[in-house]
Amino acid sequence: MKVALLSESPADEAVLRVLVDAILGEPAQVAPAGYRARGWPNVIQVLPAVIRHLHFNTDVDTLVVTCDSDDSPVHTEAHEAPQYYHPHCRMCQLRAVFRQTSKRFPSAHGRLKVRRVVGVAVPALEAWLLCGRDSDVSEAAWINGQQAGRLPYTRAELKFRIYQTERPSLPHEIQCALRETERHRRDLRRLEYDFPGFAALMKDLKSPPQL
Amino acid sequence: MIASVAFRNFKALRNTSLRLSPFNIVIGANGSGKTSLIQALQRLRTLAMLPLGEAAAVTRVGGPEITIAFAAPHSDVTARLGCTSDVVCDLLRVESPSQVQWDEIKARLGTMRSYAFDHEAMAASALTTSGGGLASNGANLPAVLAARQRNAPAEFARLEAEFLRLLPEFSGIIFEEDSGGRVRFALGIGGAGEPVRAENLSQGVFYLLGLLVLSFDPVPPAVVCIEEIDRGIHPRMFREVRDVLYRLSYPTSFGEIREPVQVIATTHSPYMLDQFRDHPEEVVITQKHGHEARFERLSDRVDLPELLREGTLGDMWFSGVLGGVPEER
Ligand SMILES: [Zn+2]
Repeated sequence: MKVALLSESPADEAVLRVLVDAILGEPAQVAPAGYRARGWPNVIQVLPAVIRHLHFNTDVDTLVVTCDSDDSPVHTEAHEAPQYYHPHCRMCQLRAVFRQTSKRFPSAHGRLKVRRVVGVAVPALEAWLLCGRDSDVSEAAWINGQQAGRLPYTRAELKFRIYQTERPSLPHEIQCALRETERHRRDLRRLEYDFPGFAALMKDLKSPPQL
Repeated sequence: MIASVAFRNFKALRNTSLRLSPFNIVIGANGSGKTSLIQALQRLRTLAMLPLGEAAAVTRVGGPEITIAFAAPHSDVTARLGCTSDVVCDLLRVESPSQVQWDEIKARLGTMRSYAFDHEAMAASALTTSGGGLASNGANLPAVLAARQRNAPAEFARLEAEFLRLLPEFSGIIFEEDSGGRVRFALGIGGAGEPVRAENLSQGVFYLLGLLVLSFDPVPPAVVCIEEIDRGIHPRMFREVRDVLYRLSYPTSFGEIREPVQVIATTHSPYMLDQFRDHPEEVVITQKHGHEARFERLSDRVDLPELLREGTLGDMWFSGVLGGVPEER
């Protein structure tokens, strides 16, 4: 499997590399330089070009995209219904870009299309990192908070819990992020259970390639 | 160090004030007041070093005036610069509960430095004896680096390690001293490769080295102003450039034990602005309408959360939604 990554920062990418290998159960062949977006909505702006580039100019068969949900609506079971599309849900939006972009592509490099793998971290990647460590952090807790109009934590708080500062250096951020990812690398079940936005990524990655 | 600066009738800054944070990134159109802010602080530093003028002499009704307030523990001290024109601010009036307080402020103001780096000057050799503080255009960079290695080897080693982490194509900083007492530097590339001499390095390498010299200064100034921090540097490196400067303003976040340095930096890059999404309180926008300019804090925008849903900060700035764009005829 040849995998390309599109993420929002070098730290996110470092975490993603570990998680992809853990999901596959073996080291994936991941392109050394990841594709990078400057946060939302830049991810959705560059995604069509990245898909097109990978499809026609490379033999990459899988593109893994992650982004933070921030304060957008969270993707839920209801969104999985056939033909359903939530215009403000980032998971729905990213999937739609994959669908629309590669709809009319002729097959290239021996494959029909680049496999779509999408994950959305609710509300930010730091929540995935805290999963299994801080019991109050989960996608359900966030959704409940959204519904109650009182969020259980802020993005800034999650970041502080991990980095112990509001302004971590990049090496410190990566080091802390990888330290927390180690727990998931050994056992993905808790992350899969508490964060459906990650479970979706797992499911996508394990789906058969579209040859 | 400096809590706020208020301008009255100074160039385009007719009537505006600005709270300063530990770190400040200032954006805006050319000629909108970014440089005026830095010039005003430089002027304050110069005048503070001179004997104080007579209080009455600076009361010039309607003339240009700049009022500076200081942060705790000196929050009850104000300094007023009186100007005879946009270019001549020659009088300083200080209101301080005690001379001791003003003397403390003066001592810190004296360390203030402003930088607008010039890569050609930085590439040239420098007198070995000139390696004190970094010159405002960075011209004595080789001498400063060599002196740092000599006098503060531990700090130099950390600076060099950070530089090599940021630009891993290099393997070390090498100094060459000539018989005329001048020093220049080259960058090793590892293995059997010839070191790259300064004159063959790209602009961004010098600017990055200049910023690192400031960031790892064992005795840094109280206030540092730096123009165009994005110059010559790849946009994917902007996070690192921001962090090099954050090290000055938020030392404990970087494991440093020393006083924070107040930083006032300018940029024209939307991608650099994107780095401040989580800290809009650090962003200052200079707004110019006709002949009048004023300062705004990005965090004062009540609709900021909604704006950030629609686009990145940089995109919002370029679009004009945040202001701080050139006027067009
Ligand atoms: Zn959805």
